[in-house]
Amino acid sequence: MVGDFAAVESIIPPGVDPEAFEPRPSDLTKLKGAAIVVRVGLGFDHWIDKLLYLHGDASINRRGPGYVDASLGIPLLEIKGRSIEVGTQDGHAHGLANPHYWLDPAHAEIITAAIAEAAIRVAPALAEKVIANRDRFLERLRARIAEWQQQLAPYRATPLLAYHNTWPYFARRFRLDIVDVIEVKEGVAPSPARLAQLAAKIREKRVRAILHETYEPEEASQLLARRTGIAVLKLATSVGSVPEAGDYLALFDHNVGVLARALAAASN
Amino acid sequence: MQDILAFALLPLAAAIIFTGIHTWLGLQVLRRNIVFADLALAQMAALGATVGVVAGHGTQSIGGFGYAFLFSAIGALFLTASRALARTMRQEALIGVLYVVATAATILIVDRSPQGAEHVKRMLVGSILSVTMEDLLKLLLLYGAVGALHWFARRPLLAVAEDAENTKRRTPATAFWDLVFYLSFGVVVTSSVSIAGVLLVFCFLIVPAMIGRLFSMRIGVGLLIGWCAGALASAVGVLGSFVLDAPTGAATVVAFALALVLAGCVRFFITAPRKERQRNRRLGRLGAGFAFFALLGLSGLWVIVAPAADHPVVALIETVSGIGPERFLSARERDEYLDATGTRDRFRRDVDRLYDMERRSRWQGEVLSDDDLRRIGSMQQTLTEMGRGERFVMDYLRARARERERWYVGIPLAAVGFAGLAFVSWRWLPRRRRAARK
Repeated sequence: MVGDFAAVESIIPPGVDPEAFEPRPSDLTKLKGAAIVVRVGLGFDHWIDKLLYLHGDASINRRGPGYVDASLGIPLLEIKGRSIEVGTQDGHAHGLANPHYWLDPAHAEIITAAIAEAAIRVAPALAEKVIANRDRFLERLRARIAEWQQQLAPYRATPLLAYHNTWPYFARRFRLDIVDVIEVKEGVAPSPARLAQLAAKIREKRVRAILHETYEPEEASQLLARRTGIAVLKLATSVGSVPEAGDYLALFDHNVGVLARALAAASN
Repeated sequence: MQDILAFALLPLAAAIIFTGIHTWLGLQVLRRNIVFADLALAQMAALGATVGVVAGHGTQSIGGFGYAFLFSAIGALFLTASRALARTMRQEALIGVLYVVATAATILIVDRSPQGAEHVKRMLVGSILSVTMEDLLKLLLLYGAVGALHWFARRPLLAVAEDAENTKRRTPATAFWDLVFYLSFGVVVTSSVSIAGVLLVFCFLIVPAMIGRLFSMRIGVGLLIGWCAGALASAVGVLGSFVLDAPTGAATVVAFALALVLAGCVRFFITAPRKERQRNRRLGRLGAGFAFFALLGLSGLWVIVAPAADHPVVALIETVSGIGPERFLSARERDEYLDATGTRDRFRRDVDRLYDMERRSRWQGEVLSDDDLRRIGSMQQTLTEMGRGERFVMDYLRARARERERWYVGIPLAAVGFAGLAFVSWRWLPRRRRAARK
C-alpha cells in the first residue's frame, strides 16, 4: 500500500509468539521517527501501550493521527467479555474477543482502510498514491480469495483440531469446522485426561488434521497424531513465520495449499 | 480407557526409570552436600541444548544431545575443580554462580532465536507426557550403562562422596573419581532434562533420596526406600494428573512434595525411637493445635474488622454447615439475591447460546453476514455487562449479610480461636519452664 514512499518495519521478529512477546529497549528506537504505528489491538499486543508511553510522541499514541488500531470495524468472533472470570474455557485471557482476525483475508479490506486513512492524515499529499495502491492490492486479494475458496470448497465442514484457538476467522472464511483446541489455557500443557478426551473426539468426529502454529510446543499435537494417525499441519500465522509466507498473500497461498493437500491425502 | 492407559503408562514408566537412577545419584549428592549441583548441571545441559537449537539441532536429536552433553561436561569439570577451590570459598556458592551464569547465558542465546521463550519454558517444565517407547529404550540403555559403571566403581565413588567435606585430603585419585561422578551425572541429567525438564528432574533427584535418608543412613536401605517412595509418588502424580485433569509434570512435582511430607510424618511420629517419638507427637499436637486455633481466631477477627473482604475459613464453614450469608438477609433481600443469581446465569446461557449459533454458522448452512456478526457481538457484550451488574448486586447483598454475620459468626469464632490458643499455650509453657529449670 505504501509502495516505495515509506519503509515498514515490524517490532515482533518473524516466527515469534506474538502473545508471549516482550519488547526490548532496542524496540524503542524503532519507534523513533515513525509516522504511523499499526497494532493488532483487542489486548493481543498490550505491551505496545507501555512502549508508546515511554516513547512519548503524541502523534503515534492513542488518538494521534499516526495511531492505527487495526481491529476497529472488524466483525469480531467469540466476544464473551468475561474471559478472565472463573470458568472460562477460552485460551485468550487478555482480550475482549478472539484477536486473530487478520487470518480471514477478507478483513484486509477493513485493515487497509484504517492504514490508508492514517497515511492520508499524516501525508495528505500522498492520498492519491495510497488509494491507488490499496485498490490494486484489494483487486489482487479478491481474485486470490476466490481461488483459495475454490481450492478448499471440496473440504467444506471438514472437522479439524487446532493446537491454539488461532483459526476461527480462517475457519469461517473457508467453511471449516474446528471441533476443539488442544491448549485450553494459554501456556499450560494439556493434561493426559484432556488428551484422552481429544483422542476420543478425533475418532468420533472423524477429525482429519491438527492445525499447529510454528511457535507452539509440538509434543501434545504429535502425541495425538501418533495415537490417532492424523496429520499435524504447520500453518503460518504471520508473515515470515514460515519461509514460504513472504507476504500477506503468500501466507494464505501457503496455508490453503498445505491444508488442501493434506485433506486430499486424508480423503484418499 | 485404552487412550487413558496409552497416555499414562509411558510417562509412568519414564518416571519410574528416572526415579531409579536419580535416587542413587541424589543420595550421593546429599552425601556431598551439594544439593544444587544438579540444577547447575541441568542448566548447563539446557545451555548446551539451546546452543544446539540455535545451530540447527533439535533438542532430542543426536546433535542436540552432543551439545547438551558437551556443556554439562564443562559443568562437570567446573564442579570437580570447585572442590579444590572450596578451601578458600564455599563450594555451594560456586555451584550457585555456575547455575546463574548458565541460566543468564541461555537467556542471552535464546533472545536471538524466534522460539526462544518457548524453548526456555520447555527446558524448565519438560514434556514427560509425550515420551515415546523409543525414548524409554534409549533411557534404559543409557542409565543401564551409567548404573553398571557406578555399581563397579561404587566403593571409590562413595568414599570420595563421604570425604567431600575434607578438602585437605585431596589427591589426584579423589579428583579423578569426582570427575567420573560429575561426568556420569551430567550424562544422566542431560538426557532426563530434555524429557522431564529441570524442575521435575530436581524432584526425582532430591526427594526420594531425602526420604531414603530420613529412614536410614545406610546407602543400600536408603536407596531401596527412595525407590519405593519415588515409584509411588510417580504413580500418584501421573494418575493424579488424570483424575484432576492437570498437567502431568506439575502434578508429579506436587505428588513428590506430598510424599516427602508424609514420609516426614511417618519418620517423626511413628518410626522414631520411643522417647523421641513421644516428644515429636507432643510437639506435633501442640503445633497443629496452635496453627488451628490461630487460624480460627484470626479468621474471626478478620470477619469483624473487614466483613466485606474475602473469608476463606468462614466460606469453608458455610459450605460444610450449609449455613450461608443468605441467612442473614431480610426476606426481600434474599429474593433480590436469588433473582440476581438467576438473571446472571440466564445472561451467561444467552451469551453461550449466541456463541454456539455463531460457531455452527462458520461451516453449517448460510454463513452469517458481517453485520449479523456485529449484532451478535454487540448483544454478547450487552449481556455480559448486564450480568456484571447482577453480580454487583449479589456482591453488595453478600457484603451486607457479612456485616450482620460478623457479630454472630466472627465473635464466637474469634473467641473459640483465642481461647484455644490460650489453652495450647498454657499446656506448652509449663513444660518449657520445667525443662528450663532442669
